Amino acid sequence: MEPVLIGELLAGLMFFGIIGFLLLGFPVAFTLAGVSLGFGAVGMFFGVFDPSNFGSLPNRYIGFMTNEVLVAVPLFIFMGVMLERSQIAEQLLLTMGKLFGNLRGGLGISVILVGAMLAASTGVVGATVVTMGLISLPAMLRAGYDPKLATGVICASGTLGQIIPPSTVLIFMGDMLSGINSQVQMAKGNFAPVPVSVGDLFAGALLPGLLLVGVYLAYVVFKAITDPESCPATPVPPEEKKYLLREFMVALVPPLLLILAVLGSILGGIATPTEAASVGAVGAMILAALRWRLSFSILHQTVVSTATITSMVFVILLGASVFSVVFRLMGGDNLVHEFLSNLPGGRIGAVAVVMAIMFLLGFILDTFEIIFIVIPITAPVLLALDVDPVWLGVLVGVNLQTSFLTPPFGFALFYLRGVAPADLPTSAIYKGILPFVLLQIVAIAILFAFPGIVTWLPRLIAG
Amino acid sequence: QGNITWRMVTTWPKNFPGLGVGAQRLADRITAASGGRLTVQVYSAGELVPPLQSLDAVIDGTAEMSHGAAYYWQNKSPALSFFTGVPYGMTSRELTAWMRYMGGQEIWDEIYDQFGVQGFLSGDTGTQAGGWFKNELTGVDSVKGLRFRTPGLGGRVWEKLGATVTNMAAGEIFQALQSGTLDAAEFVGPYNDLALGFYQVCKNYYFPSFVEPGLATELVVDKKKYQALPDDLQAIIRDVSQAEYDQVASDFYANDPRALQTLVNDHGVNIRQFPEEILKTGATAAAEIMTSLRESDDPLVKKTAESFIDAFRIVRTRSKTTDGAYVTARETYFEI
Amino acid sequence: MRFLSGTAALISRMNWLIGQIFSWLSLGIVLVCFVVVVLRYLFATSFVWLQDLYIWLNGAMFTAVAGFALLKDDHVRVDIFYRPARIRTRALVDLVGVVFFLLPFTWIVYAYSLPFVLRSWSYFEGSANVGGMAGLYILKSFIIAFAVLLALQGIAMLCRSILVLGGRVDLVPPSMAYPVKPADAAAEAIEGVH
Ligand code: NA
Ligand code: NA
Repeated sequence: MEPVLIGELLAGLMFFGIIGFLLLGFPVAFTLAGVSLGFGAVGMFFGVFDPSNFGSLPNRYIGFMTNEVLVAVPLFIFMGVMLERSQIAEQLLLTMGKLFGNLRGGLGISVILVGAMLAASTGVVGATVVTMGLISLPAMLRAGYDPKLATGVICASGTLGQIIPPSTVLIFMGDMLSGINSQVQMAKGNFAPVPVSVGDLFAGALLPGLLLVGVYLAYVVFKAITDPESCPATPVPPEEKKYLLREFMVALVPPLLLILAVLGSILGGIATPTEAASVGAVGAMILAALRWRLSFSILHQTVVSTATITSMVFVILLGASVFSVVFRLMGGDNLVHEFLSNLPGGRIGAVAVVMAIMFLLGFILDTFEIIFIVIPITAPVLLALDVDPVWLGVLVGVNLQTSFLTPPFGFALFYLRGVAPADLPTSAIYKGILPFVLLQIVAIAILFAFPGIVTWLPRLIAG
Repeated sequence: QGNITWRMVTTWPKNFPGLGVGAQRLADRITAASGGRLTVQVYSAGELVPPLQSLDAVIDGTAEMSHGAAYYWQNKSPALSFFTGVPYGMTSRELTAWMRYMGGQEIWDEIYDQFGVQGFLSGDTGTQAGGWFKNELTGVDSVKGLRFRTPGLGGRVWEKLGATVTNMAAGEIFQALQSGTLDAAEFVGPYNDLALGFYQVCKNYYFPSFVEPGLATELVVDKKKYQALPDDLQAIIRDVSQAEYDQVASDFYANDPRALQTLVNDHGVNIRQFPEEILKTGATAAAEIMTSLRESDDPLVKKTAESFIDAFRIVRTRSKTTDGAYVTARETYFEI
Repeated sequence: MRFLSGTAALISRMNWLIGQIFSWLSLGIVLVCFVVVVLRYLFATSFVWLQDLYIWLNGAMFTAVAGFALLKDDHVRVDIFYRPARIRTRALVDLVGVVFFLLPFTWIVYAYSLPFVLRSWSYFEGSANVGGMAGLYILKSFIIAFAVLLALQGIAMLCRSILVLGGRVDLVPPSMAYPVKPADAAAEAIEGVH
């Protein structure tokens, strides 16, 4: 066999081998790296891989450690964790619940709206699901909600943080896509490509994020009309209504101002996402202080959470680098290129196939692993086929949002299970999420058919 | 001995006019001249390692060659700036005179010896453009607080003039100008700058770059592996590099003026000269920087600066009495 | 067995301490970056070294804390099968994973980074940006620290696996005890991830 073919064969096997080994349950970052090293050793044996290529690892690592764009990640995580500790979400959920309680489906609507708002202030998915699971789930169950609807709404709304900016996933995607885009365009002789930045992805994801909010709301309204039993109203006693509006303003206005300041300055091109994130983080500390929630203990919890979450994500990136080095240098790039370039349906077919693969991977992996593995090897081909990078990034973001929701391994489900009452069957959570996964697929189809929903805002801002 | 393949990492994007193209052509020429006995495979910026880790990749054996500019590695030794070009320093011709006949290459070898690599000049952009500015410059006051992308010692000069200086990779500059993160930027010259689209955001294009009077690129090779090659392959690498130094310069000399015409005629760019006050204050700043390098505690930095300044004092006399005087005369009197 | 228990406890204690200390760098990132923003937007001035500083703090933080995160079991697992599995099965998976995945990975990172880091020390490498931070060699050393701290925590996990498989669950240090019920695992995960 030709060495080139052996290399490509090994690269292909490695991709599937990794998925197999991941099922063992050892941490993803190290499984990725370890299995890749194993395949690298086999490649060495066949003379199709040169171990000196691992010398590029420290160079790549120091590249991540000195990357200006990626610093936005810990900053936004800090902001999110701090906001969570200042219990803004709790207050919003309680007052919003009272505000909409008189409506059928009102509690569901309030969960979606609060989810959207928290999403716009942070990208921390788990915390949102947990908070809503602790506060709104018991309220909805008490009110007689169908547990399937209640859990579905909470999981889906809780994951909006991934797509509604600011989002840590979009930061990584922006960093990767901007590099790949400029390489691809220059290779094609276009030296002034329309650049892609994290800010562009944020702008591109705003309307699709709102579209999802709209789709979820429409579903709850639909349920309220067709199946009133599933989401009864929860009348609020008049004495509680008295100061409701004021209570609501106190809960709503400060975080809303923070959101407007952070997102506005990024989308308005006034500040880079990193700069805006630091302002957001300081703003979150101020909000916490105003609520007398900025104690040493809370600060301590915040820094520890921020550091470990950041480390967890970056370590996946470090592990995935080993995969990239081995995969690329054994000829995997060619393999992917040949596969994606020769699909029926051309560019659209290629994007559809990549989306389908990512969706399937979403059943067992979560967002970060998928983008760190799949984007570096497929995006160069897709962008070379003239796929709009911002559209691609946002589409991937919405697609992978479902990875949080798809059983058996969906983080949102897992978190909610952890805080849901013990007598609530897990199957209710799994069944409850299905309509929302379908809605998610509908949203992806809409974005596929009308790319303008993604590209309109970034272009408007760029002028 | 069988055929061998070497990996060349570059700091340039693939097919980038002048520089990236030059790196690829250099690789192809080595492959062709050796009849395939030494095949050079090019990895453009970021393909194997991040662009600014290219030299480290060679030192570590991840690649056998790197194509870039010595001043990117000024954090390894400040002396390396001299082998690319320094503010108010030598033009390309003057630089090769120093390198080939006045001790430059020997000092460079001594510096790179510490890292087990060997450098060859491998390309040259000629004197660069001064940069793109959103607003017209009136004097040193108009520089204060200006957010300006310009790397290396040139950046330090502009810092002394009052600008807020940052460095960013080629692909990020346009976005930063557009979003207002930058008020001004310089990259290379019309040939590259047209490609990068800066004209869409800035209309004032200033000349000349007194901070980058010439920019030499380098080919760095793993010294041990280089010396283990048969003599003819060594000669091929050396001579192809020398030929490419000239070839890349020709590319820029032919295409810079064409690109400039396009910028002016098709895109309405205003060509401007820096106000005298900026040139003058910039010269003072550049002299301070060069002096501080000559007084460095690091003996190799000191030695490089001394050798450079000694050579510079000699070669500039020829440029002044002959080349400069000729160009002035031609541009004053001769029309055709 | 007691020796294994002691080793695991000692390593975990060290990573815990390092995690506690280096987590505070996240506050440092926030504050330094905020200062840069204020200087830039309110005073139209900036310092390259300050811009380097908050970026480097992130690099130092996520490498230094990686071992601590492993101690807390915060690194994402695909736990379809792992989570509901018996403790002995989980111990076996961890044993295999440490030996075949984690230790080879940290070894490769260590072996290929050591010359890279030593070289950086040999000339006290600073920032690639003119006017940037001094001490890039210190930041580069964090790659070694990353590999070593992870490998050590891996060894602690190895000790734990042997203790569990050897029937001495009681000797597993409390800081790294396996959650008994899946529900506990969930509750624990909520503390950290995402
Ligand atoms: Na978000
Ligand atoms: Na330049």
